Amino acid sequence: MAALSVLVYPCRRLLWGLLAGPIATSWARLPARGFREVVEIQEGKTTIVEGRLTGTPKESPNPPNPSGQCPICRWNLKHKYGYEDVLLLSQFIRPLGGMLPRRITGLCLEEHRKIEECVKMAHRAGLFPNHRPRLPEGFVPKSKPQLNRYLTRWSPRSVKPIYNKGHRWNKVRMAVGSPLLKDNVSYSGRPLVLYH
Amino acid sequence: MESLASLNLIRLENQLQKLQNQFRKLIPLHKPIYHQLSDCGDHVVIMNTRHIAFSGNKWEQKVYSSHTGYPGGFKQVTAAQLHQKDPVAIVKLAIYGMLPKNLHRRTLMQRLHLFPDEDIPEDIRKNLVEELPQPRKVPKRLDEYTQEEIEAFPRLWSPPEDYRL
Repeated sequence: MAALSVLVYPCRRLLWGLLAGPIATSWARLPARGFREVVEIQEGKTTIVEGRLTGTPKESPNPPNPSGQCPICRWNLKHKYGYEDVLLLSQFIRPLGGMLPRRITGLCLEEHRKIEECVKMAHRAGLFPNHRPRLPEGFVPKSKPQLNRYLTRWSPRSVKPIYNKGHRWNKVRMAVGSPLLKDNVSYSGRPLVLYH
Repeated sequence: MESLASLNLIRLENQLQKLQNQFRKLIPLHKPIYHQLSDCGDHVVIMNTRHIAFSGNKWEQKVYSSHTGYPGGFKQVTAAQLHQKDPVAIVKLAIYGMLPKNLHRRTLMQRLHLFPDEDIPEDIRKNLVEELPQPRKVPKRLDEYTQEEIEAFPRLWSPPEDYRL
């Protein structure tokens, strides 16, 4: 009896894996192919829906520093970009606004985090109007008062008002920008202020 | 003595903190005839205050407080709520705090004219002399870049052939 139960438990685990495997991943394990566009052609009574492969964009030739490990080091942009460099940031985002994974883009960890933070700040500043998340059909969003913002570190919904600002030696400061971009080059000579 | 006042226009699109240099025209330190007792400041007109931008999370965090004088009359309002009620108030309070804290401050505020949108009364619009430069460069959105600029920017990395976005 004890021997039987010892035999049954690992079998149960295997069965779980077998059952959960094909059912759960049958639609996720399709062969992944390149960027495609969907084209519908109607010929009489038959409609042909075809996914045509569009060309994947290639890295531009002759990077200034070919011995760099990540794209930013290769193009000498290490401490030189901010939230407003939308042309740079748009190369690392998905069509709906999310970031691409680091193993695909090839960025080093700190640069990936900096770009992620800049992308968040650019979304909050409204610099990616066409990369908004998809809303369900027939959904009309409530009209919210449109406030312009820039260099927002935290999400607007998560922040509470500062009712007690504190005394002169102990002020509660408001965060601006991000500490990840502390080492950015400043051409105007003024120091970067992270807390107003 | 004839007053040499002139009207200067500031068009606000997306800036608040950097107004400091612009409204200096109210205090006429830029004129060689300046004297503390001579009343020779310029008027400054600011439009589009409704489209002002705050850095960081100040719309939610910054709190404007006031007291009516009566007990229980301490009111605290966030910047977003105040802007909703009165789109001109934030710029007015900001400039009031940046002016020198003397008795001239009230007269200088009388020479400052704020408008939430582009419509300005005719008599002010006729007398405008100079448009002051914008304090802050407004960043371009992704759809405001021309196709040539987008193509001129180099592509930094090439995705693998079989990657699906």
